[in-house]
Amino acid sequence: MTSNRVAGFLFAMALLPLAIVPSMAQPPAPAAGPGGSANAPAARGNGGQPAFFGGPPHVPGGPVQHLADGHPDMQGFWNSANNGGAVFELQNHPDGRRPFFGPGKGAIVEPADGFIPYTADAKAKAADLFQNHLADEPELHCYESGVPKQMYVQFGFQIFQPANYMVITWEFMHAYRIIPTDGRPHIPSNIKLFMGDSVGHWEGNTLVVDTTNLSDRTWYDTVGNFHSDAEHVVERFTPVDSTTVKYEAIVDDSKVLTKPFKMEMDLNKTVDPKYEQMEFGCIEGNQDVKHYTKDKGGAADIKLK
Amino acid sequence: MRIALVDSLAARAAALAMGTVLLLGVTGTAEAQNSAVRAAYKVPRTPDGLPDLQGIWQVRDTTAAFDVQDHAGALGIPPGRSIVVQPADGKIPYKPEALAKRQENFKNRDAADTLNKCYMPGVPRITYIDFPFQIFETPKYTLIAYEYIHNYRTIFTNGTGHLDGLDWWNGDSRGHWDGDSLVVDVTDFNDQTWFDASGDFHSDKLHVVERYTRTGPDTLQYEASIEDPEVFSGPWKISIPLYRHTEPNFRVLEYECQAYADEAAKGGGR
Repeated sequence: MTSNRVAGFLFAMALLPLAIVPSMAQPPAPAAGPGGSANAPAARGNGGQPAFFGGPPHVPGGPVQHLADGHPDMQGFWNSANNGGAVFELQNHPDGRRPFFGPGKGAIVEPADGFIPYTADAKAKAADLFQNHLADEPELHCYESGVPKQMYVQFGFQIFQPANYMVITWEFMHAYRIIPTDGRPHIPSNIKLFMGDSVGHWEGNTLVVDTTNLSDRTWYDTVGNFHSDAEHVVERFTPVDSTTVKYEAIVDDSKVLTKPFKMEMDLNKTVDPKYEQMEFGCIEGNQDVKHYTKDKGGAADIKLK
Repeated sequence: MRIALVDSLAARAAALAMGTVLLLGVTGTAEAQNSAVRAAYKVPRTPDGLPDLQGIWQVRDTTAAFDVQDHAGALGIPPGRSIVVQPADGKIPYKPEALAKRQENFKNRDAADTLNKCYMPGVPRITYIDFPFQIFETPKYTLIAYEYIHNYRTIFTNGTGHLDGLDWWNGDSRGHWDGDSLVVDVTDFNDQTWFDASGDFHSDKLHVVERYTRTGPDTLQYEASIEDPEVFSGPWKISIPLYRHTEPNFRVLEYECQAYADEAAKGGGR
C-alpha cells in the first residue's frame, strides 16, 4: 500500500463518475493503512474529509483563540464544508448534471439566484466545455486548482501562521498558498500563476486576501465553469469559533462576468489529534486522462448509454 | 527535465563565470577569516524563540543536481566538484553490484530519471535542484515550500514519530532542534528517485538525516547523512551551502513542469 495509490484512488473515485460512471459519486472509503501498527497511516482516521465525503460531522468549538501577535489562531488541519456540492459545481445546479451528479445549490450567495453571472459568450463557452471538453478539466491533468477552487477541493488542508504570513498546504495535488501579510504589493501582472499572487491584511479578526495574477488554466469546478486571466478574488477568513471559519470570496472577471459574484462556505477544523496530511502523488500515477471518453474530448473508446 | 535543463544551463554559465572570479580571490587567510566570522555569528531567533532559518534559499553550486560526485562534463551534464564530504575521497560507497547499476542508470539517464517525467524529486535532491524554496517556522512544524512543482515538506517538530508502511517520493520528515540546527530524520521513501541526474540511486531502505545550520545572515549549510544497506557499503554524507535571496522583490513563484510539458506536446507554450 502506498498513500500515493490510496490518494490516487480516491481522486479517481471523485472524478471518474463525471465521464463514465452513470451515477452520483459515492463517498470514498476511508484511507486504510497496512494495519496492525500504532503508527500505521490508518491510525489517522478519516478526519481530513468533510462530512460531505463521508468524514465525521462537524463539531462546533469553543471561543476563538489568539496567537501572541494578537491575531486569531487558525492553525491546524481543516476541510471545506463543501456546501451545496460546490466541489462538483460551484453555482446553483437545481437539476444536477445527469447522469453525473444530482441537484445542489452550490455556494454562490450573490447574485441571489446562485448562478455565475456570465456574459452571453462565456455562458455558451461553459456549456461547450461541459458538453464536449470535460477531458480538459484541469485537475484531471494534475494541475493545481486555482483560487477560490483550491479552498473547496475534496481533501483537507493545513494552515500555518508564521510571523507575517498565512501559509496553507493541501493534501490534494500538494498545492500550497503563501499569503504575506506585511503590506507588500502584487507582482507584475504579466506573471500568471495557477494559484495566483495573494497578499493579505488583517481587519480585526478577519484575514482579507487579495489574489491577482491568476492564469486562465483552472476551472471553478469539475463541469466547465471557467474564468479568464483577468480573474480577481477577494477572500475573507473570519473565525466563528475555535473549529469554524466563515469563508467568503468575491470573484470578479471583466472578460467573463457581467458583475462580480460572491460565494460562502464554512471551513471546519479537523479535531482528530492523530490526523496528518499524507503525500499526494498525482502525476506520478495518473490514470484518469486515458479513461475520459471521446465525446468529452478524451481518448477512451466507450459509449455512454 | 528538459525544460528546466535549458534554464539551468543558462543560469550555470553565468554562475560559472562568477565562480571563476570568486575563486581567484580566495586565499588560505580568507578562509580562516571566513570560519572565524562564522563562529562569531549569532543565529537570530523567531518570535517563538526558535533559531531563525526563515527566508528564501537556493544553491549556488548548480552542478550537484547533475552529479553529486566529482565529474567532468558530459552531454547535458555540466562539470563540477563532489559535494560528498564523507568518505573523504568524495565518492559514494556503492556496493559492487550497485555501482554497476549506477553506470547503467547513467547510460539510460534520459529515460530512467523520473525527474524527466516531472515526478517529485525526493530528498535530498529537492534541496539542490536549481530552484528556490522558502522556509517557514512555527513551534510544531517547519514548512519548506519549494518552487519546483509546488512541492512542500511538512517537518514535524512536535515530537511525533514516523508513520509505518509508507513509500513516499519525498519521504516522511520528523525533526527536532539541536542547538542552532534543525535536524530532520527522513524515512519511508520509495525506490524511484535519484540523488542527481547521473543515476546515483537508492532503494526504499534509504534513510536520510538532514541538518540545516545558519552560518551567517545570508548562508545556510545543508548537510545530509545517507544510509541504505541495500545499495551502499556504509554511510556517506553530503554538505552544500545554501544562499538567501536578498532581492527585495524576490518571490517563490511556480515551476509547473507537467503543465509546461503538456503545452509543449500540443505545440504551444512559451
